[in-house]
Amino acid sequence: MSADSAAATRGPWSLALRRFLRNRLAVAFLALFALIVVFVLAAPLWADQVAHTGPNTAHVLEKLSVNGQQRDVVTPQGEPIGPQWFEAGGRFFLGADSRLGRDEMVRLMYGGRISLLIGIVSGLITTLVAVILGLLAGFYKGWVDGLIARTMDVLWSLPVFLIGVAAGISMAVGGLKIGPLELHSGSIWAPILIISVFSIPYIGRAIRGEAMALSEKEFVEAAVAQGAGPPRLMFGEILPNLASTIVVFFALSVANNMLFEAGLSFLGAGVQPPNSSWGTMISSGVELLTTAPLLSIIPGAMIMLTVLSLNVVADGLRDALDPRAKVRLEAHAGMVEPEGAPV
Amino acid sequence: MVRGILAVLVLAAVAILGLVGCGDSGGGKEGGTLLGTYSSFPELDPGLAITQEAWIAMYNTYLPLLTYAHANGSAGSQVVPALAKGLPKISNGGKTYTLFLRPGLKYSNGEPVKPSDFRFAIERTIRLNSLGSPFYTNIVGAEEFQETKQGGIPGIKANDRTGEIVVDLVRPQGTFLNVLAMPFAAPLPESTPIEDLSSHPPAASGPYLIASVRSERSWEFERNPQWAKTNSKAMPDLPSGHVDKIKIDVVRNQATQVSDVEQGKYDWMENPPPPDQYNRIRQQFEGTQFRVEHTISTYYFWMNTTKPPFDDPKVRQAVNYAVNREALERIYAGQLIGSSQILPPGMPGYRKFDHYHYNLAKAKRMIAEANPSDTSVTVWTDNEPENQEAGEYYDGVLKEIGLKPTLKAINADNYFTVIGNQSTPDLDTGWSDWFQDYPHPSDFFQPLIGENIAPTSNLNIALMNDPELNQEVRRLGEQQLGPKQESEYAELDERYMEQAPWAPYGNRTVSTFISSAINLDNVVFNLTFGQDLTSFEFK
Repeated sequence: MSADSAAATRGPWSLALRRFLRNRLAVAFLALFALIVVFVLAAPLWADQVAHTGPNTAHVLEKLSVNGQQRDVVTPQGEPIGPQWFEAGGRFFLGADSRLGRDEMVRLMYGGRISLLIGIVSGLITTLVAVILGLLAGFYKGWVDGLIARTMDVLWSLPVFLIGVAAGISMAVGGLKIGPLELHSGSIWAPILIISVFSIPYIGRAIRGEAMALSEKEFVEAAVAQGAGPPRLMFGEILPNLASTIVVFFALSVANNMLFEAGLSFLGAGVQPPNSSWGTMISSGVELLTTAPLLSIIPGAMIMLTVLSLNVVADGLRDALDPRAKVRLEAHAGMVEPEGAPV
Repeated sequence: MVRGILAVLVLAAVAILGLVGCGDSGGGKEGGTLLGTYSSFPELDPGLAITQEAWIAMYNTYLPLLTYAHANGSAGSQVVPALAKGLPKISNGGKTYTLFLRPGLKYSNGEPVKPSDFRFAIERTIRLNSLGSPFYTNIVGAEEFQETKQGGIPGIKANDRTGEIVVDLVRPQGTFLNVLAMPFAAPLPESTPIEDLSSHPPAASGPYLIASVRSERSWEFERNPQWAKTNSKAMPDLPSGHVDKIKIDVVRNQATQVSDVEQGKYDWMENPPPPDQYNRIRQQFEGTQFRVEHTISTYYFWMNTTKPPFDDPKVRQAVNYAVNREALERIYAGQLIGSSQILPPGMPGYRKFDHYHYNLAKAKRMIAEANPSDTSVTVWTDNEPENQEAGEYYDGVLKEIGLKPTLKAINADNYFTVIGNQSTPDLDTGWSDWFQDYPHPSDFFQPLIGENIAPTSNLNIALMNDPELNQEVRRLGEQQLGPKQESEYAELDERYMEQAPWAPYGNRTVSTFISSAINLDNVVFNLTFGQDLTSFEFK
């Protein structure tokens, strides 16, 4: 079999994977993201086997044996112990988080699980709802499109963060009950719901535009001629052609949602205490910024690395799934001539 | 020769007048502008001033008929006459208070101070629905006035001709002298609008007036021109202040405030330094620019005495045994002194006891014995860093003794509104604090764990309602405070703690932090009003 015929027999996903793997930067950041995921998944192992404490366990009055010397986890003046690295057998590796004397490393790992969970779950919800709405608007057009697109415009034009904070605080006090849906205050689903709702236009508008363009294509007209109904046209014909866009936007959405969560939690409207997320950890660390800057810097760095890796991976995915987009972008930047450009 | 003698006499007269006009000098410079910082903008209307921050501003601007001595420590808890000629004559079994206004007093706008202005001020406070209005509902007719806002309060009779003011009470009230010394009762000209005047404060009667306000940003005190002309002569016991102007800026970031005071950009910060800088500042400046100030306050965890599991005194006692006050001292970074009783040190009637020395094993045993029907509880706290950490600590303690807590940390701005509203679900237990309104032990019983339970703005969050103890609170509240009553309040403190509606854990300290330009020794911290602005003096 010749190389050409081998390429011809490979499917588009296989080709995309090959293109993605050729992008070393994207692969490196995918590996970094995987490392972060492994790091947070290892939280119970570290907590049980190394730190011997839970993420919310206070050690205010305890002493720690460091190289044979007894040291206060929290001094009588309320100063938490700093990073011990491996001096205390891995306990308080990054020090204590606050005057409560909780193990910062354990909270960082557990907090990362919550931050990632919120980012991924809200990304999934956002993507799912946005794809459905985008498809409906793009396919039906007319009043359906008007209603959905204008609603998304309204949502897009709102001061999302301020409303998110207000909603988060309100739900932190009284929870939420809409029909059978009941969220207890402090539930992790509260920030997930807020973030999901306010992020819908971000993906929905792009999907709607593409769905609208795709619905005019010949293959859709052919399917109509064969008697396909709207559900088959939307989900059988148009949706598969949106796959690359959806994958890329999902990755970006997870990154954005993690930032959103960090912001909400920083302002007290996201993850509720005593649970931690990277956002709440930055918030509580700010109080000790001058004496223990690592308490804010480390969770901040974790957010930055996670978001950066997701953004680079999303870029790599876009280039791999839609190589013409890359050519278009580079042409726009004046790097190469686009295909078919007049010479 | 004669000219020389005259010159010496004139100079001597000027010097004497200067001293009289400016009050006691600590040997520093008179005049100048004091620059201070607050982290929030307080209520600058005496009818609405409820916070400690506001009371600092009111202490030397809006004088009530009575006030507190301008002194540190317990000496500052003594009620002394201000606009009144002397302390009131109490008659009719403790139900009638008769006072006389000092003659010749004037407001900063030149209007004379009249006895009827006192009645107007009380009515204005009530009309404004001020949080201070409940203090005056024992005056005959005040409760009806509060409901209707019509007519006036018949229990206050003021004679503008003779200067006599007679206040009739429904029941005897041992705290009424203190109530008269609150800013809500400071007379105001009858032309003062019935609205929040924090942006345009009304005419003042004290040594300073609030000359200008930039809402939410800054305000300035200036000397009241009528003080030097008339009022200081009528009230020679009250200080006139040393500085000519006081400019307060709202600087939200406390770390910035610390750095500004260290660099001398500001002379004083009203808030204590933030926790991460507190110990450094204390070590570096204590005795020269920094001083720890004790407050008459109690920090505590309340427990809803009407619902399981806290309807069982044994559970509440177990919680008291499980709370480690030493741990909470560390959580408050040394700005709290551990205690397990209701009355704080410095309050008349305080007698130290420790019925609940930390004993986790005993606490667990007691919970097991009590075997509560419901162990799921919601723990409430606000999101001020130390209070939130105290709430998180308490959440962990409850878990440790076998309860199933869920923590709710809500915004400090509306925390007390939420937990004071009885329609809020799951008000099981949580954090709270109380700073004295006045130096009388009744202030820690009657509103907080007495029989008063209101649907909104409720202060008795534990919903404590023990008929026997209520009767004792009522009985003592009707008496003037003396050694016998103080001893009875000490016993009452112990009796309440046997019932343990709260798990008290400490008394807060605050601080005075000033620049090197100010003389720390002269700065007065009044236990009721906070820093006394008339005591600030440049070196």
